Amino acid sequence: MKLNVNGVEHALESGALTPLLHVLREELGVTSPKAGCQSGGCGACTVLVDGEPRRSCLTPLGAVDGAEVTTIEGIGDAHDLHPVQEAFHTLHAAQCGFCTPGMIVATVALLKRLPQPGRREIERALSGHICRCTGYVKIVEAVEAAAGGSR
Amino acid sequence: MRAVGARVEKVDGIGHVTGQTTFVDDWRIPGMLWAKVLRSPHDHAAITKLDVAPALAVPGVRAVITHEDVPKNVLGHLEGLGVPADEPLLAESDVRWKGQPIAVVAADSEEAALAGVAAIGVSFEERPALLDVRLAFEADAPKAHHWGNWFPHFGGPDTPPDHRKIRKGDIDAAFEQADAIVQGVYRPNAIEQMPVEPQVCACVPESNGRLTIHSCTQGVYFTMGIVAGHLGVPLNRLKFIAGTVGGGFGGKVESWTEPVVALLALKTGKPVKLRFTREEEFLCTSTRAPWHIEIADAVTSDGWILGRKMLTLHDAGAYARFSPYGVTKHSFHIAGSYAIPNIHFDGYVVFTNRTPTSAMRGFGVTSVSWTIETQMSRIASVLGLDPYEVRLRNASRIGDTTPNWVTLHDPSSVPVIQAAAEAAGVELTADYRTMTRDPRSGDLLPEWLEGQLGDLDAKES
Repeated sequence: MKLNVNGVEHALESGALTPLLHVLREELGVTSPKAGCQSGGCGACTVLVDGEPRRSCLTPLGAVDGAEVTTIEGIGDAHDLHPVQEAFHTLHAAQCGFCTPGMIVATVALLKRLPQPGRREIERALSGHICRCTGYVKIVEAVEAAAGGSR
Repeated sequence: MRAVGARVEKVDGIGHVTGQTTFVDDWRIPGMLWAKVLRSPHDHAAITKLDVAPALAVPGVRAVITHEDVPKNVLGHLEGLGVPADEPLLAESDVRWKGQPIAVVAADSEEAALAGVAAIGVSFEERPALLDVRLAFEADAPKAHHWGNWFPHFGGPDTPPDHRKIRKGDIDAAFEQADAIVQGVYRPNAIEQMPVEPQVCACVPESNGRLTIHSCTQGVYFTMGIVAGHLGVPLNRLKFIAGTVGGGFGGKVESWTEPVVALLALKTGKPVKLRFTREEEFLCTSTRAPWHIEIADAVTSDGWILGRKMLTLHDAGAYARFSPYGVTKHSFHIAGSYAIPNIHFDGYVVFTNRTPTSAMRGFGVTSVSWTIETQMSRIASVLGLDPYEVRLRNASRIGDTTPNWVTLHDPSSVPVIQAAAEAAGVELTADYRTMTRDPRSGDLLPEWLEGQLGDLDAKES
């Protein structure tokens, strides 16, 4: 089976039923998607599959054979932050940082689909992402700021 | 003080927003084994058989540890605060809560480790379980702990050893003078801290005999001490890589994964990782304790609290952990933000066959704060008074003393309650709007309360 991860083609050894999260973390060493609950409940493992946010812990490799997978490593890095990363950083939307990669990739997908989301759309898009540190206020503010900045 | 009010760049923020922060689970360690835990399926049982040989025959399994592999299996985490050791790292002859760890398997893969756990030969003889603190004092209650059903080691020269006790003022006089008695029973329940990062630990045995331990503990030196204690090694054998914590909220004070992976790393000579599932997090790690709190307040018809009788049963679960410390803190806060001159309090740490409870965000205090604020509103409701005014009338002033006789020099109860009223859009009457935290005087101080509500000269000191 094959995956294009952050622009790089990979031929994979993992079996078809292996969760995409494990393929990324254990076979490819891409560790930004986190094993928070491994049961689809927390959103920390979220990656983009052909541009759509997906819970990688519940996605078997066989279901995404040949797909393009984007993790936060494919969004931007320390030398070239994406506006969403910049907003999360400067507005303190990341506290412990564990849920942050999932939050950010979901936000990037939201802003691509809906460049000027209202508060309800932001809350709906991030409703499957659990953060236990911030209380969500700063996260929503960061998404609004990133949307404003991309105007 | 340059940071106060300023927006300071978060030191680890760039790593967080780029996904490059290395949490414990993110370390890539070649040749690493996975560990999985055999846990009690019963609330309370004797272990009648434990045979790990079948697990060792499972392909991929490298080692199994039981209590026999732990140099010091029963180690107190708060012995420094006078709480004796009671809890084994791995169960010995009995299990006292559903989820209590019995054995841990290390294998080449998670799947092999799980197969190893399933292969362990274990049998139990179930015992009656105590699951409700209210039944703990009954003569025929199941026995949850070898010390009895409540913690007996508070000690101290002036208090009985088996509970926290406060006697302040003249409680009988307060109840005789009362216009009404307002009672309440409050039962704030257990809460799982639920950090999004589960408990995870990896240990690498180094060629120089040291152990490198990647830990998500909230207290690095505390956990180092616990590992050294269980292993019987000096601290200089341990190198901790810690400080990157994916949320903790008290739950990651628990230091169980660290000694376990260290023992498996020593036994196999290989790196070992143990990562809890979310199910283990919920069912098998410490929660905030459930509490049972009974209050009877002697009040006047105009809203003074003359005296409080209070009984607290703190559900510690199966072992003491931090619960005695939690009840001690609790006992200091039983009057909340208010000055109550006469107090009669008994607080017990009760053992049950539930998951042991421990730290979570102000544990011991949060339960009583919620209880007392609910009780204050109940008093106002029973007397037909304004809940803000009942609070302000009784609010701590400069010079008042807490239940444990600490004199308050800088209490903020009055301005905080006034600010809360303002934020809620509640119009206070002039007396209460202009009230200050200065010692009581005039109409707001009944004569008979003089001398009971703290030292009126404290303002000048």
